[in-house]
Amino acid sequence: MSIISDIIDSTKAIIKGMSITLAQIPKEKWTVQYPDDPVTLQPRYRGQHLLHVDELGREKCVACFLCAAACPSDCIYIIADDDPRPEEERIGVDERYAKIYNIDYGRCIFCGYCVEACPKDAITHGYNFELSVYTRADLLKTKDDLLITKQKQSPNYRVAFSDEDVDSEYKEI
Amino acid sequence: MSSESIKVTINGSDYQVEKGARLIDVCRSNGHAVPSFCYYSDLALQASCRTCLVRIEKMPKLQTSCTITCTDGMIVTTESDEIEKARRGMVEFLLANHPLDCPVCDRGGECELQEMVFDWGGLEERFRERKNYAPEKYLSPVVANDPQRCILCKRCTRVCDEWMGEDAIEAGGRGVNTVIGTYGGWLNCSQCGNCIEVCPTGTLLDGTYRHQARPWELEQTITTCTFCSDGCQMSLGSRGGEVMRAVARDRYVNGINGEFLCIKGRFAHPFVNHEERLRTPMIRYRKGGKLIPATWDQALEFAANKLRETADAHGAEAIGVVGSPRITNEANYALLKFANEVVGTSNYTATDRFSLAPFFESLGAGLATHRDIRFAKTIVLVGGEPEELQPLTGKQIRQAVRNGGAKLIVINSRAIRLQQQAAQFIHIRPGAEDAAVLALADERFDELAAKKLGVDASELSTARGTVLDTEGNCIIMFGGELSPAAQSLLAQIPHAASTDKRRFLFHPLPLYNNSVGAHDIGLMGGAHTASSLLGAAGAEIRALYVAGSFLPDHLRGQEEALSKLDLLIVQELFETETTRYADVVLPAASFAETDGTFTNNDGLVQRVRASIPPAHQSKPDWMITAALAQTLGMDFNFQMSASTVFRELAERTTAYNGMRYPLLKDETKPVQAKHAIAPRRDLADEIEALRLSIESLDETAEKIMGTPPVGHELFKPGELTGKVPQFHLLAAGNPKPPDVLISPLYQITIDAGLRRTDEAVAVAGD
Repeated sequence: MSIISDIIDSTKAIIKGMSITLAQIPKEKWTVQYPDDPVTLQPRYRGQHLLHVDELGREKCVACFLCAAACPSDCIYIIADDDPRPEEERIGVDERYAKIYNIDYGRCIFCGYCVEACPKDAITHGYNFELSVYTRADLLKTKDDLLITKQKQSPNYRVAFSDEDVDSEYKEI
Repeated sequence: MSSESIKVTINGSDYQVEKGARLIDVCRSNGHAVPSFCYYSDLALQASCRTCLVRIEKMPKLQTSCTITCTDGMIVTTESDEIEKARRGMVEFLLANHPLDCPVCDRGGECELQEMVFDWGGLEERFRERKNYAPEKYLSPVVANDPQRCILCKRCTRVCDEWMGEDAIEAGGRGVNTVIGTYGGWLNCSQCGNCIEVCPTGTLLDGTYRHQARPWELEQTITTCTFCSDGCQMSLGSRGGEVMRAVARDRYVNGINGEFLCIKGRFAHPFVNHEERLRTPMIRYRKGGKLIPATWDQALEFAANKLRETADAHGAEAIGVVGSPRITNEANYALLKFANEVVGTSNYTATDRFSLAPFFESLGAGLATHRDIRFAKTIVLVGGEPEELQPLTGKQIRQAVRNGGAKLIVINSRAIRLQQQAAQFIHIRPGAEDAAVLALADERFDELAAKKLGVDASELSTARGTVLDTEGNCIIMFGGELSPAAQSLLAQIPHAASTDKRRFLFHPLPLYNNSVGAHDIGLMGGAHTASSLLGAAGAEIRALYVAGSFLPDHLRGQEEALSKLDLLIVQELFETETTRYADVVLPAASFAETDGTFTNNDGLVQRVRASIPPAHQSKPDWMITAALAQTLGMDFNFQMSASTVFRELAERTTAYNGMRYPLLKDETKPVQAKHAIAPRRDLADEIEALRLSIESLDETAEKIMGTPPVGHELFKPGELTGKVPQFHLLAAGNPKPPDVLISPLYQITIDAGLRRTDEAVAVAGD
């Protein structure tokens, strides 16, 4: 091989590559400027769990332990208690409620089995996804972190509408 | 029942069965599954759930197999489209009024109705009508009730009537309006909780375990109850090192008691995880000073040094070793070994209320098992009150009389509730039980005994006649009222009275779970009794090593005895009267935290298994004793294993020869200790001594009239039961709170005069 043919070949390759690169410049950008811009999440995205309340603000969870039983990574810890007060004053919708409800996000694999198992629609996956912490102990979230009335939602996401074509945003335009 | 066999054809296969067998039992034992709710073997028939329907040839309609007795040549079909349709229909009816609140219901996960619906239920509920609503409520401090979940199988009412004889829970109303209820909306009974156990749904629930945990996350450990000498088998459900509940449900455990437990066995377990449990070893460095927490090494070193000092100064006989009828055989054996081999003292004993030594020395016949009691022909009960102090024995006696037609002779100074079942009740003067024994054994003393007992002489001869007319098993039970001589005399009766047709069996009624074991090990055979040991404290006894505590009975009149000792080492669960003067207190593990064996009043050696790790820094009793021996320079070579201790124990104790843990593994096949049968011997000395003591009895003493109330002994709070708030409510007369929809514990302040008083402390001291 001569040097000249080498130079010609490599120049061709550079031109081929750069033509693709330069061709992208005038096109629409699909890099999301997170965290300056919010990311768009699928409606069924499985983020940090939410514990729901009913229209009167009472917790829907009755501490049946089915989520804990369904959990493959054993990350849900519940202590149930009796709430003998009249219905209107109760913490939960029934006389049984979860005194303690912890999820260990160091173990959770976001499989969604707990949500499937819940007979009361009390637990769902929310959209909060920024779960990194400085100490591992902080990965343990308590009821105060999980209740829908108390969980602080991150400003860094937006949920796609159900008819929105989210996927194509990342595909060839 | 005859052993004649007949032929029954089930689903095309022929079976030879015993005449009179129940069809449902035959189907099930031969592998043809027949579902049922209301059928419960050993209870009266009900046939209300109608899920056990089968087709029997030549009968016009489907038949309930639980009420059919097999006849020769019967041809039965248990599986067909017709039967399936009928069963599915019945289950749909059962669910017509059953709420769908399984997530809240404590029974969820071990519910027979859930299982039935999995097998026979429809996918959809076709009934659109409103369900009858009734709020959940409490029937007593320990029984919660959700009437809406009831499917009216009436197991609870039958159990209450037939097992307990209380009839406290009954069905009221008719047809669709039938409800299970109590008189006055409040359960006044012995609170055994057996209605909870047999309930196939979540209608009756444990009020102490309410909404605490789910059955599938509990670790079930089969163990022996620690509250009385019946030794019921139960399953402790624990979660995360905490005992949550005790049940005897046959899906978990199948022991001598079936599904029976009493209030103590079922509800009095919270002492295990009580906050007052001793946490660390403690040392009192200066007499009158404070107990100061120490490490195990420090405490053992301190105790060992002091023991050495005492032995050097006063000799080994100045040291006493005290075991307990509450702790395991292994622990008592370790203490005996400590006394014999490490210290070399003959001053050892156990803190039991009375010794069974005279009885076992003269034992003329074997010990009865609870099954023997159930099928006995004649039962003689001298003293004692099994219903309160040995509830399983009480239940077996009642069933023997009601379902088995046994004749019961009750000889008691009080009109105990069991006398309602008795063929003959001999109401004697208090403290005169010995005279009754003498008359039973020897008719020459009828006149004398009758005079002292305050009964007619003919009553005694009638009782003797009943015993001598028995064909089958005659079981003699006795309580702690008998003197040693009377125990010997009673134990020798079989030699004179047994024939080919009649077998005598004994059933002693000691108060503690391991009273018989403590005797078998030989711990009761020391030079002193617990009381005399206390009497000698400060004189010839200078140091005591106590496992457990002295009973209030032992300390009465000599409360300061323990303060006179140079050294007192106590291993206990809680701070008690005994630890008040202790120099070293060592935290011991409770029955739920230790492996070992208990020997019950049948002589059955039954396993105790660790359900949770020992609380705080506590250790099993035998391990503490072995560690103390080690500190004193003697290696017991127990290798940290309870089975090693038991092997050595079994080798050295005649009655336990050949026993090993693998043999005791199966609670359905308990192993009886081989107590030696004593040959017939001359009892002239005992009879003469008895006659003299009887002649000195007061002939004018008042008889105790009136039947003691249900629970008068069961509800008294003791060292362990007093840790359970419910017992204080029950001991205070089971007050009905203003609102039964809310747990009584929330409504009634136990501290407001409902706490234990000294007079109300349980006899058994637990």
